[in-house]
Amino acid sequence: MFRTVSIACFITAFVGIVIHWIIFRPKADELFGADRRLHILDPLRVLFFFLTLLLIPQKLSLVGVLRKLVYLLAMLCFVVLFVTGFFSKLIFGETISGYWLMLHATFAPVFAICVAILAVMWAHNCRLNKKYWPWLQKIIQREVTNMAVPEKHELAQKLSFWLIVVLSVPLILSIMLSMFLLFGTYWQQLLADTHRYIAIVFALAVVIHTYLMVLIQAKR
Amino acid sequence: MKQGLIVALALLLMSPSLTAAEESAETLLGDESDGSRAQPNHLIELFPEDVDPDSFEFIKGDKIDPDIDESSKVLLPFSTKWTCGECHNYNIISKGWHFNAADPNVLPGRPGQPWIYFDARLATQIPLSHRPWRGTYRPSQVGLTDREFVKIFGRHMPGGGVGEHEADNTEQKMRQYISGKLEANCLACHNADPGQDQGSSYGYAIQVARGNCRWAAAASSGFVSVTGSAEDMPDTYDPFDPFEVESAKKGQKSPPAITYHKAAFDNENRVLFNIVGEIPAKRCYYCHSNLYLNDAEKTEKWSSDEDVHLKAGLTCVDCHRNGLEHDIIRGYEEESTVSQNPLAAAISCESCHQAGRLGAPIPEHPGIPPIHFEKLTCTVCHSGPWPDKKTILAKTSRAHRLGTPNVNKSDEALPHIIAPVFAAQQSGWQPQACPERSRRAELGDGGKIAPHKLIWPSFWAELVDKQIKPIDLDVVKQTVGEVFANLELPQSGDWPALSKEHIAEALASLQRAVEGKAVYLAGGNLYSLDDKGKLQKRLDHPAAQPYLWPIAHDVRPAAQSLGVRRCEDCHATDSPFFFGTVTVDSPVVEDRMSVRKMVEFEDLNPLYMWLFSFSFVFRPWLKVVTIGACVILAGILLLYALKALACVTKIFAGEEDKPT
Repeated sequence: MFRTVSIACFITAFVGIVIHWIIFRPKADELFGADRRLHILDPLRVLFFFLTLLLIPQKLSLVGVLRKLVYLLAMLCFVVLFVTGFFSKLIFGETISGYWLMLHATFAPVFAICVAILAVMWAHNCRLNKKYWPWLQKIIQREVTNMAVPEKHELAQKLSFWLIVVLSVPLILSIMLSMFLLFGTYWQQLLADTHRYIAIVFALAVVIHTYLMVLIQAKR
Repeated sequence: MKQGLIVALALLLMSPSLTAAEESAETLLGDESDGSRAQPNHLIELFPEDVDPDSFEFIKGDKIDPDIDESSKVLLPFSTKWTCGECHNYNIISKGWHFNAADPNVLPGRPGQPWIYFDARLATQIPLSHRPWRGTYRPSQVGLTDREFVKIFGRHMPGGGVGEHEADNTEQKMRQYISGKLEANCLACHNADPGQDQGSSYGYAIQVARGNCRWAAAASSGFVSVTGSAEDMPDTYDPFDPFEVESAKKGQKSPPAITYHKAAFDNENRVLFNIVGEIPAKRCYYCHSNLYLNDAEKTEKWSSDEDVHLKAGLTCVDCHRNGLEHDIIRGYEEESTVSQNPLAAAISCESCHQAGRLGAPIPEHPGIPPIHFEKLTCTVCHSGPWPDKKTILAKTSRAHRLGTPNVNKSDEALPHIIAPVFAAQQSGWQPQACPERSRRAELGDGGKIAPHKLIWPSFWAELVDKQIKPIDLDVVKQTVGEVFANLELPQSGDWPALSKEHIAEALASLQRAVEGKAVYLAGGNLYSLDDKGKLQKRLDHPAAQPYLWPIAHDVRPAAQSLGVRRCEDCHATDSPFFFGTVTVDSPVVEDRMSVRKMVEFEDLNPLYMWLFSFSFVFRPWLKVVTIGACVILAGILLLYALKALACVTKIFAGEEDKPT
């Protein structure tokens, strides 16, 4: 069941992102200029370009350096957790165990700390101001003033950020609580299932957030 | 003339004698319950096994009269086959689990306790079983005939099975005519009378050892006295001939003879038996007692606990159930794939404890990840002795003849059974023994880790076509026995101290008596002589690997289960469960230095298990860190949720929201 659900979710997300990319992708000329030579190298250029976009803009302040380091560490942890968490189940249909489990459990607390730090650092910038809800503004106040137009996909990116923060709590708690002598076998199973299914949504949120972040950066 | 009569008798007995009872498959009075749960009264007449003077077939004798004139008719022991068989179908019952080990059509199921032949003088300790369990050898493979096997191990056999096999040559048939067959001893289990005597100086075990198989069940009943020994009688002795019996009584050696306690008989020569269907645990204990030598005080019954189920008021047969077929439930997972007992799938730890049957506590197992229940049997945490850093020696009734006269009470007495060993359960039996059932054998595997008892085989064998074949014990006695004749044997019954020189000398002697290459297996290793006569040692030879069988008792309650204190009961770098030391037992002094780690028997990667156990050192930190992260995340969510709420209240208050 979990295997089927997760495969379906990941395929759907992948297809969705590809379609979205085809529709909203920035033109190569916009990114690299029209006068470049060897257009055949464009896919490679795009790849490197987006990789550099993943390295979020760094500011010289201590907080800026910290933010970037934590973000990179979080991305590394996410990749490891994603692979170790889903590989055994998706490929072999087996529950995570052995060295996979050990790696997973080693990177998980690091990731939890990173997510917490990033939440502290990004939450303010990811507030959902009223500029994202002009329609609501119109209904409630019947007038719209000082409405700066948000960037395209900005709302989706911020929503995915808050989704990540919201899901982090049950994702962590579901596995953490099972380590205490509190819950019996039935609840242990339920907690494990909760962890698994939330992990799917969480992973999708992270992927979408990262994709949108890259897309917005590219557009800029 | 008499000699000729005996030979004629023996020849007649060459063909299997079919009796009326054996052919009968009808439902008898006691075969089917009428629904009453009351205990049936067993005031019954006794019948012996007699011999037809014309056909020499064994038949049902006349009702026993203890006042019979013994000059005209021999006073015979009552036969369970003919006495109990009056109302219960003996034929069906004698195919039950306790009697059918030698039946090739019976699926052997999960490996069980073998019979262990041991001889310190021969440096031999070998697991034997008629069931084709992997790692055991059939008695015939070491040259033991059924009669010899019964004589050695019949003390703890319930009779039937090999005890009733027809002898396969004239000499054996003549001896069997004298001693009788070892019938299924119904009383061994079903007689609740305190006089039931399995192991005293005149009881069942002694009678079997004396070759008095025909008299053994009666001797155990508590209202007869049996004297003499069939073993002492010449091949020409006729136990049914009153004249011969009287003559033998005047000789130096007493023939087997029975005296009934007349007070046990009523005026119609009937005897009241206290026969019960619900077997008392004490009866089971005669053959199924365990003694773990972890503490000298624990040998005393008063200083140790019994199985929690017994203390809760259950008896053995509440779980180990059977019907008329006596296909008793052994009580392991997947038993229903091999058992004919319809309740095999319904009687298990889970069946009672998951449903709270009859008030059985339903375990919550708080904090234990469900993966444990996929990898471990219930017995890992709840049964057997609590594991220590090193395994201990154990004694069992069947291996150490507990409960019989003159038992060696030394801790080191052979055979050496080691426990508890946590090991992955292996396939049920040797595929070559039941090729058509190899798939079912795998079904019976399970592969879960369970607590086991273990024995390191030590025996002399020959290597033929790369196959290990144990050498007949008689040959070993004649060769190795002579070489070791002056070897000092410890009084404790422990192994003698064998050196490499001893083995080389014994192998050289043995080589002259066998066609294949003589080898010695002990402590997991194989010893042989090279072309120059120099001793070679091959480490970890497959045929020398230990034989293990799962244990299930005594069951400990939840409060005494493994892991009740914390995860580190098992998940620690020095936990007995993974990293306990399994003793390597061997007569060879050099081998005794080697040890095995428990994890090697669990089919697990030792490095991984060590790393995993080591990670538990950091488990508290992991909890603190992740919970701290959770608190921060929850705090942020709360903070911005409140901010959002503030924003909403401002909007509803008509105040302009000022960007911050």
